[in-house]
Amino acid sequence: MEANAIFESFLAEQGLALFEYLGKGSFRPIGSFPSWLKQIWGEETARAKTVVLAERSPFLQNFLLDAEQFWNNKSSGAANSGNWIERGVDGVETPLEASALRLDGKKILLIRNFSSAFAEQTQWLQTARDSVLDHEQLLREIQKKEILLHCIIHDLSQPLSAMRGCFNCLTIGDLPPDLKPFVETGQRESYRQEQMIRGVLEAFSGDLPAQKKSQANEPPATADLAACARHAVRNFSAAFAEKRVRLQLDPKLDVSRQWLSVGDAPRIDRIFGNFLENAMRYSPQNTTVTVGVEEKGALLAAFVDDQGPGLPTDQSTGKLFALFAKGKDRPGKAGLGLYFCKMTVERWGGRIGAETRPSGGSRFWFCLPRAPISSLASAAEPNLPAANAQEEAAQQGVASPGKRRVGKAPRSLRILVADDTEINRELAMELLKARGHSTVGVADGRQALAALENARFDVVLMDEVMPEMNGLEATRAIRQKELASGRHQVIIGLSGNATKEDEKRCIEAGEDAYLSKPFDMHKLFQIIESSAPETAGEIIVPPPTTSSDSVAAHLARSAAGSKKLMQSLAISFLADAPKRIANIQSAIAQTNAELLATTAHALKGSVAIFGAAKAVAAARNLEAMGRAGNLEGAAGEFCTLENELSGVKRELLAIGAKSGKKSRPPRPATRKKRGK
Amino acid sequence: MIQKKICMLGSFSVGKTSLVRRVITSEFNEKYHTSIGVKVDKKIFRVGDQDVTLVLWDIYGEDAFQKMQMSYLRGMSGYFMVADGTRRQTVDVALALQQKVAEAMGAIPFVFLLNKCDLADQWEVDPDDEKNISARGLTPLRTSAKTGENVEEAFVRLALAMLPK
Repeated sequence: MEANAIFESFLAEQGLALFEYLGKGSFRPIGSFPSWLKQIWGEETARAKTVVLAERSPFLQNFLLDAEQFWNNKSSGAANSGNWIERGVDGVETPLEASALRLDGKKILLIRNFSSAFAEQTQWLQTARDSVLDHEQLLREIQKKEILLHCIIHDLSQPLSAMRGCFNCLTIGDLPPDLKPFVETGQRESYRQEQMIRGVLEAFSGDLPAQKKSQANEPPATADLAACARHAVRNFSAAFAEKRVRLQLDPKLDVSRQWLSVGDAPRIDRIFGNFLENAMRYSPQNTTVTVGVEEKGALLAAFVDDQGPGLPTDQSTGKLFALFAKGKDRPGKAGLGLYFCKMTVERWGGRIGAETRPSGGSRFWFCLPRAPISSLASAAEPNLPAANAQEEAAQQGVASPGKRRVGKAPRSLRILVADDTEINRELAMELLKARGHSTVGVADGRQALAALENARFDVVLMDEVMPEMNGLEATRAIRQKELASGRHQVIIGLSGNATKEDEKRCIEAGEDAYLSKPFDMHKLFQIIESSAPETAGEIIVPPPTTSSDSVAAHLARSAAGSKKLMQSLAISFLADAPKRIANIQSAIAQTNAELLATTAHALKGSVAIFGAAKAVAAARNLEAMGRAGNLEGAAGEFCTLENELSGVKRELLAIGAKSGKKSRPPRPATRKKRGK
Repeated sequence: MIQKKICMLGSFSVGKTSLVRRVITSEFNEKYHTSIGVKVDKKIFRVGDQDVTLVLWDIYGEDAFQKMQMSYLRGMSGYFMVADGTRRQTVDVALALQQKVAEAMGAIPFVFLLNKCDLADQWEVDPDDEKNISARGLTPLRTSAKTGENVEEAFVRLALAMLPK
């Protein structure tokens, strides 16, 4: 009796109700009917000697099918129902859980009142799912920001493209001398604007982690800090003059030597630009701002000194370079510029800071490690915009200024320009005409396809974002048609989107090269003229119609079935290919983008005869990287090319062997022994 | 009276419980309360000239934290496959779950619901997505448990599909 009482107390305490299954859906309660179950199923059920539980609960009705199966088949363990919510006769909801088990040969159903654990389980599950929802929301916000950023960049790039195009067109003709400085300033400032836009994109784009990773693997660029300082002074002189603030290079700076540090010139240019904008803002009239470089032990330090009020007292120096730092007297400034400077300098292993000078005013400075010895030979002040037309001409290798700024191309090409923005289209056509090419303009991808149906073009300049049919869709359509026509159309993509992902997307769509807007006109000429086919209307054999085409099958098609020609082509390629591959490898090792573009282009053409779509694709990718001046991933792509070519060579060796001729590697030059 | 078992299926937080609550009590709660366990409710619908008792099984959304038991679906006459139109990934979950159910249970009438259609500015299912869903023979119905839009319609549509012709 006592044991029974304890047992019943135990069951009640644990919120358990036991039933013995009697068969045909009928159950006998073991012990007293618990009060919580009475509340659910009512007094009448509680008083009954046997209960048909399936009639009490639709959930139990379903579970009891599993329970019976368990009782009939298993002797150990338990079958569990999972949790369910039972609404009682009084409307109160109770969480329950049921288990079927065998005890002493009897078929037992255990119903557990889950209330005590239910609240806790609900809480952690609620927290877990809320976290998942928050995470999803955060991802959506990030994605929206990315899209917005790209839209902004794209929209900002369009008018900037037009401005640069206009400046380029102005430089085509003979400018009156009094207008030249304005045009040159406009060109320089539009270049700076472009760099700022790219800086924003790099900083806030999702590409940043990938860039950081790739930059970690790249050997660091180097730059001449003194040259950058000189450029900065030159670029800002006019603006400072307007404010009646004197801008000078530090008289103590030894300009006869190089001051080579880690870092790339365009970003260092931007850092100086940020510092000078800051100095200009706070320098009273008739004061002097000095830009200089000095030794600092193992580092080189660059600085901008002003004679303004000194650093704000409401902020520590560290906070000055923090994201969105603002002083109380700097309304409207988001504090992005100095933050970018800090990120950039620290990424190069340097330091950055600012201080109030004892003599008054402030000094903004950054220190960078000196350039490694191995890089001294290739250290540069690369790609900075020329201060004047003469320098720019020297940079670009065109005819000296004062005469026509745009030299004629070696060969006149027919170019189709597809761009929905009329001003950009017209400007591009104008520049190309000045270069000696003939042009036709269309406003969308569909019109581009129609134009290609009616006329031959050496090159298509294809904008990415266009209505009706965008550039990528049009490119894919053109490539699809080429499978039947056997003619490859050179397509150069243009896009206001400027990330590596955008470039990759364009190349994967089938474009031969890619140029981001706003573009430099000389770069435009270079890419077009080096991508164009060797002779007008040249037929270039396209990749195979099916990916499963063997080299032999494709070669047979290319050689129109002539075995003799097949063997000759195979032997010729086998003799020639090692040198072409070595040239590509050398170009990558030297990070010579131009050489990579030409050597990859040459190999692409020769491999295409044999189909070998993957090898052609790898060569095309290398060529595109070379044209874009971005050799990131070139080593990996080269490995792919080598792997694919090894398969091609095996097949060609078999074809060549049938002719009885063997392709021999070129003999090294040897000295003939003089006869005695 | 005809009685039919209907299951509410779909990812978590798509509005299964809210849809049931809307149809049973005409109420809606803005705050998200996750479901653990199964809740069974009944509702009598007038379909044509007959009354049909729908036994609604509100089954918690399957995710990494809780796995649904397929035994819950036993004996169902029809089901709602519910997705949240403001969370694109729930459509993929619903499509995968529908296929799983079809393979396990055979061809059972169902209606595909794109819930939360009142949140138009957060909608992530574009017309092309809806076309793709329709192309699989799953004509989606946009519903809102919050406003009641198309909720009654959805249940009537399913009831009609379940009744013998």
